[in-house]
Amino acid sequence: MILNYLGNFALLFCLIISLVIFITSISSLNNKNFFLKKNLIELLFFKFFFTVLSFSSLIILFIISEFSNETVLNNSHISKPLFYKISGTWGNHEGSLLLWLLVLTFFAFFYFLNSKNRPTDERLLTILFQEVIILGFLFFLLKASNPFNIIYPVPKEGLGLNPILQDPLLAIHPPVLYLGYVTTSIVFSSSLAGLIKGNINNLWAKDIKKWVFISWTFLTLGILLGSIWAYYELGWGGFWFWDPVENISLMPWLSLTALVHCVLALEKRSILHSWTVILSIITFTLGICGTFLVRSGILNSVHTFANDPERGLYILFFLFFLIFLSVFIYFIYEDKFELNNKNLNLYTKETSIILNNWFVMYFLSVILIGTVYPIFLEVLSNEKISVGPPFFNKLIIPFLIPFLIFMSIGPNLKWIKNNYFSKKLKLITIFILSIILSTLVSKFFGNTALNITILLAASFYLFIITIKDLIKKGFKNYSQTISHFGFSLLVLSVLLNSIFSNEITSNMRVGDEIKFSDKIIKLQKLENTTEANFLKLIAYFKIEEKNKTELVLEPEIRIYDKPETITSEAAIKTDIFKDRFLVINLVKENEYLNVRYQEKPFMLWIWISAIIISLGGIINIFKKNEKQIL
Amino acid sequence: MYNKKVKLRALFLFLSIATLILTIFLVLKALEENVVYFLSPTEVKNLNETTTEKIRLGGMVKDQSIKINSDKINFIITDFKNEINVTYSGIVPNLFQEGKGVVAEGILRDKNYFKAEKILAKHDENYIPPEVKASLGEK
Amino acid sequence: MKNRYYKYSIVIFLIFTFFIFYYGLKEKNFYTPEDISIKKFPNLILNDFYTNSETSFDDILIGSNYYLVNIWASWCLPCREEHPYLVQLKKNSPIKIIGINYKDKRDNALKFLDEYENPYLTILTDNNGIASIEIGAYGVPESFILNKEKKIIKKIIGPIDRKKFNEIKELIKK
Repeated sequence: MILNYLGNFALLFCLIISLVIFITSISSLNNKNFFLKKNLIELLFFKFFFTVLSFSSLIILFIISEFSNETVLNNSHISKPLFYKISGTWGNHEGSLLLWLLVLTFFAFFYFLNSKNRPTDERLLTILFQEVIILGFLFFLLKASNPFNIIYPVPKEGLGLNPILQDPLLAIHPPVLYLGYVTTSIVFSSSLAGLIKGNINNLWAKDIKKWVFISWTFLTLGILLGSIWAYYELGWGGFWFWDPVENISLMPWLSLTALVHCVLALEKRSILHSWTVILSIITFTLGICGTFLVRSGILNSVHTFANDPERGLYILFFLFFLIFLSVFIYFIYEDKFELNNKNLNLYTKETSIILNNWFVMYFLSVILIGTVYPIFLEVLSNEKISVGPPFFNKLIIPFLIPFLIFMSIGPNLKWIKNNYFSKKLKLITIFILSIILSTLVSKFFGNTALNITILLAASFYLFIITIKDLIKKGFKNYSQTISHFGFSLLVLSVLLNSIFSNEITSNMRVGDEIKFSDKIIKLQKLENTTEANFLKLIAYFKIEEKNKTELVLEPEIRIYDKPETITSEAAIKTDIFKDRFLVINLVKENEYLNVRYQEKPFMLWIWISAIIISLGGIINIFKKNEKQIL
Repeated sequence: MYNKKVKLRALFLFLSIATLILTIFLVLKALEENVVYFLSPTEVKNLNETTTEKIRLGGMVKDQSIKINSDKINFIITDFKNEINVTYSGIVPNLFQEGKGVVAEGILRDKNYFKAEKILAKHDENYIPPEVKASLGEK
Repeated sequence: MKNRYYKYSIVIFLIFTFFIFYYGLKEKNFYTPEDISIKKFPNLILNDFYTNSETSFDDILIGSNYYLVNIWASWCLPCREEHPYLVQLKKNSPIKIIGINYKDKRDNALKFLDEYENPYLTILTDNNGIASIEIGAYGVPESFILNKEKKIIKKIIGPIDRKKFNEIKELIKK
């Protein structure tokens, strides 16, 4: 009980400190307030401290199952394992917002500690913008989604956590994703501050670069975790469904990817000043926009979240407040940009970075339109539609081909000027080699679609070139090469996966057999067991191949009691070359089991390549700054 | 007085606009072809002619209507005014149950018969697809 | 000049987007069949508060489109807070209010009703609290809104406040 008040008061203290920082930093913008300069760091620390206090009291409330707390009541249950009691803290709307706030205050503090080489007024302004965001979240928390609402009389038992969310991966997926989102807020605030002070230049880029990379790495990992979870928990055997909620996490990632490149160009060549700022604004607002679309229930997605239009309204106002704020600041201070007086040569790194941005923005707009178009249409014409995978595949896949080719050539070019023709022969040789390779692969596996063959060729091209670069250049710029290599591997494995995936669905009884290419799948027996908070039905399948290898897969159906939910746990056998994926489902009290068996080649490599991609980002964060080339 | 810089800027501007137009064109065209409309059984009955396009059909799975054999699942989607027979072969989601909301994606054979290629349901016991949202008071 | 136009168009576009989202939020889903899977209110037999005769819910729940079953007790403080709303509901709406007196002393309960006015059409007693568990209640106060078919269409844990009161009015308007 007391923890409820503690958490609540800690939040209130946070609000007070935020207001103090906000007001004093406004007043000290012009007349360098002595008080603030000396004490800001303490204030930021205390704010962080109080959020930690508030967050830990919520965690403890969850651990001791204190059902006088409404959030705990709605999302926890006594018989739930301890691990999920803790992860339940941020598995719900209120708790996740509190987590978001925690990360926000931490990064505000951390930013201030690590930005001593920036001009004081720019730091102050950054903190001021950061404070605006924090205040927005605080008001939202206290007003519309307080995690410390008290229920009286105290219920004896909680309502439980949606079992589909009881998963170790999903316990760490939101925090990682939030770390990514929140770091973009620092980039956002800092770029607005830099814009107002006219500080957007190569030095600014050098300092903000770390933040961009941190954010990009976390977002990459967050999306990876999310899709691994979708792969084995949702039981559809896919990892990406072009579902609105997934698209929403991909959009900030795309614009951040553009920003990563663009910030490099700004650092090294002092170009693209305004574009960098625009991208920072876009990235952050897309992040908030995602929260709005997901939490308000305006979207029609297969991933569920508790929806509340009232909350949606608040986020909507907050979102557009931030958008208009940044747009107006941009318009007013636009003239402060350093004039771009550099010549651009065609065969240079900067041109390829611009090309990269062009393509990424194209992908981004396709996804954005595909995701929000149904909302627009519904409001304007009251027609309900959904935009499915064919739309995205059709618009994105063809443009991946030139994108991959530029991606291979670009990093091999130099800044400013390039003696391109010396390498031309080598690049063309590799290109021909990859075309031959992809044709062979296509022929060998009986795939005749031309566009897929070309796409394969393009990704082989990137693959070979990045390997060559890794070997040849050694440690020069290896973080970039690693990420690009990871990307080529990703495209390759996704492609091969989608071409060679095979599946069969059937309804089976115990003892039934089905034939699948050269295999026989047999349902041997069913078994019931009782676990801590669910009933388990295990089905034993035997898969016999012609060459006498036998494989037993044991997919499960879990019937949870609080709240009453059925989930399927897929049985997945992973090896280097392919995943065997078997999922079952129960249809009422029927003797037939709904069975789906899939063979998915190179699944493991999709995950590995995503890890490699983010590895490049991690290396970049810890890498010492290179010398300026100016 | 057109120096290189101005020319470059003009080229850049031209390319941006060209890309923008191309993007809009492509997106609109793709939207036209790939959009899936959502209909309720009543709306299907009111169609003038059955489309051969893919649609999403939403409603409740009628009580006592699920029939399963070794390769098919047949059931009835109802909105309590009209009913449509659905046939489907493939895996159904966990929350596919009688009396629960369901969205089926597939092709209409005629006004009473729907061949589903995909069955969608959300992973939440409280969930009813937004299109099928019932007048539940709670939450 | 050109510069200003592009600024205007961006702002206008953003405002447009804002309104689309805004109306998207407000949009009522046009397709709303009644959910038949909603739990039906159990038909329990309890003793009448005044006459002490055995009464089943089936006998009480007739002749109205909506019912409110309210679990209350004189010892429960939040019940006093919500009481005025129940009285208002009784006076201003067609809903029939049925009370379940939960683990209470009869004298105190009578005093309570004298003091605060009796909004209940019928009061049943649940001295040992078993009936409330069967209904699926968490504690006192708690209210269930039932429709004509005795299906629970809303459950309110804790006292009815201004917001919940308006929700109820909204719900039974249909």
